Amino acid sequence: MADWLRGSAVYRSIVRHGTADTNRNRSLVIFENLFLHVHPVKVREKTLRFSHTYWLGGVTLVSSLVLIATGILLMFYYHPSVPQAYRDMKELNYVVDNGLFLRNLHRWAAHLMVFGAFLHMLRVFYHRAYRPPRQFNWVVGIILLILTLFLSYTGYLLPWDQLAFWGVSVGTNMAKEAPLVGEGIRFLLLGGNVVSENALLRFYVLHCVVLPVALLLFLSVHIWRIRKDGGVQGPPSDVDDPRPEESA
Amino acid sequence: MSEESERSPNPGAPGTSRRDFLTQIGGGACAVAGVGSLVVTLDYLKPKVLFEPPTVFRAGSAVDYPEGTVRFNREQRAYVIGGGGGVFALSAVCTHLGCITRYLSDEKAIACPCHGSRFDLEGNVVHGPAPRPLPWLEVTADAAGNLVVDSSIIIPHGKVTRA
Amino acid sequence: MSPSPELHVVESTDPLAVPRRVALVRPDTRPTVRRGDERYVMTFPHLIVREVILFQAVVIALSLAAIVFDAPLEGIANPIETPNPAKAPWYFLGLQELLHYFPPIVAGVLLPGLVVLLLAVIPYARINLTAGPLWASGGKRTALALAAVTAALFALFAVFGCWPIAVPTLLTAAAMFAARGGARGGRLRRALAQVTLPEWIMTWFVVIATLLTVIGTFFRGPGWAFVWPWSGAI
Ligand code: HEM
Ligand code: FES
Repeated sequence: MADWLRGSAVYRSIVRHGTADTNRNRSLVIFENLFLHVHPVKVREKTLRFSHTYWLGGVTLVSSLVLIATGILLMFYYHPSVPQAYRDMKELNYVVDNGLFLRNLHRWAAHLMVFGAFLHMLRVFYHRAYRPPRQFNWVVGIILLILTLFLSYTGYLLPWDQLAFWGVSVGTNMAKEAPLVGEGIRFLLLGGNVVSENALLRFYVLHCVVLPVALLLFLSVHIWRIRKDGGVQGPPSDVDDPRPEESA
Repeated sequence: MSEESERSPNPGAPGTSRRDFLTQIGGGACAVAGVGSLVVTLDYLKPKVLFEPPTVFRAGSAVDYPEGTVRFNREQRAYVIGGGGGVFALSAVCTHLGCITRYLSDEKAIACPCHGSRFDLEGNVVHGPAPRPLPWLEVTADAAGNLVVDSSIIIPHGKVTRA
Repeated sequence: MSPSPELHVVESTDPLAVPRRVALVRPDTRPTVRRGDERYVMTFPHLIVREVILFQAVVIALSLAAIVFDAPLEGIANPIETPNPAKAPWYFLGLQELLHYFPPIVAGVLLPGLVVLLLAVIPYARINLTAGPLWASGGKRTALALAAVTAALFALFAVFGCWPIAVPTLLTAAAMFAARGGARGGRLRRALAQVTLPEWIMTWFVVIATLLTVIGTFFRGPGWAFVWPWSGAI
């Protein structure tokens, strides 16, 4: 059955190479595939070790994928309006099949993503993997961290419960303290002077469209740069000499 | 950047070739358009009409407020207090980060649940992170002694309304 | 530039042999060129399989968590009634804890802005690229500077009554001094002796951030008063 499938004209039109039993075909798996070709065909064996990255960037990446999948599903039931938003939460929790499960998944994946991104940053720092040529990727990473925090924060308001409302009230009042621009930023963010229906709609648009798109953009740059910067760098001992010697 | 042969004798800006000049004009136009659309977008994002609750409310009659009375108006987030020989109103919104404070009647104090600020009954900060006293709100009394509070108008501290 | 060494081309008969690239390395070339003899493996299956396993592990772990723990949902938002205490999500509780000690402009704008700025410039600051172990160069001046900075920071945070920062500052400085001359000590001290100044600073930051977050999450009750987590007042 599997052989028949692999031999079929349709399958051959999608996957042009044979089974991955030779190094040639294994190379083709990588570079004939849009998604896999962010990888080189071969990687340094050391980079596969657990202690090289602790897979922390990967954990963060997987959580963001889970968040996108569950988030899209949640959107099918969610209205960004008062008080319907809160009723939708109740409906998801008690009426919709697996609604509670999806909500939980989305919530815990969000926590994991923040936590993972932070730990990932620490591992990169202590491995000194921000050194040239990876400086720019570090900065992209910081942008990703900030985007992650903003995503969590905007998402926090959407259930429109007491936690959401007061968490966001306190947070946006903090913005108000910024000199000169603070009041203006808060007014724009909330679409008013207080956390209200306008704020809910704005946070919804930010959370479901603006920030995810920005995240995906920077994420693409981040992942692409890893390869361009010579693959992941593990502990400092991995780099035998950060600067090749001047004399040959 | 440009080759010597393209350098046109331009009396206005010596040493600027036609290509450089056009590039600058083009780049400048893009910058102006960019800034312009940014300003217009920001303006678009600024709501022009807000449906926020009215800020003026009635607070009953002055005779309802003997010395030491504290009434909390939930909807308007304000305390109306009898004291200082008259009536005054305090905002109940913590000046720290905007939580709604509570009146603790047995301690005769106003406390904020969020980061622990405390205020006395005149709105002064007793302790805690709040940077400013609670603002005083305008209270007006008509001839019959009926009180009207406008929570959008902040008046100087200590200006008690006498009916 | 010295003349290139003479090269011989040998045709290999080993089908599994990995071709080796020969390159002339100059100091300013890209980093992919390494000196050591590195072993390479095929990305497929070695890396791809690990990635798939990682994906599955994370999804399974998250699903289990989602089955066991429910996401919180409180009463509908009520602008009139502030819950007591009103807490932000955990990753902002460190910040909220700071707000307890410092005026909002400092805790809410200045300190977070400073942290983000410092994080962003890490790879561009020379010290991060060149720093060796803190005590590598004997270090009478290092010791003096460290003592002075510690005292100043401690005084600053103590004035605001912010012990969750002041105390870890002292402890970090103590650890830094303990690392002095550690090269000849036991294993722990030898490891400490290798730590560079930027790493000490980052560690200091992480300790404080963690401590503030933990206090904000577990040790703050109504009115942001200190409570024990087991007293059930959360
Ligand atoms: C949304 C959050 C993020 C995702 C999904 C992500 C993903 C990844 C992945 C999958 C890797 C591959 C190696 C590894 O797993 O360690 C990586 C490497 C890297 N990340 Fe991130 N990252 C994120 C945030 C950050 C942050 C906050 C920083 C630092 C400020 C950062 C800096 C870097 C750098 C410099 C590398 C290259 C490390 C090396 O070559 O060893 N990233 N990232
Ligand atoms: S909002 Fe009242 S103390 Fe922070």
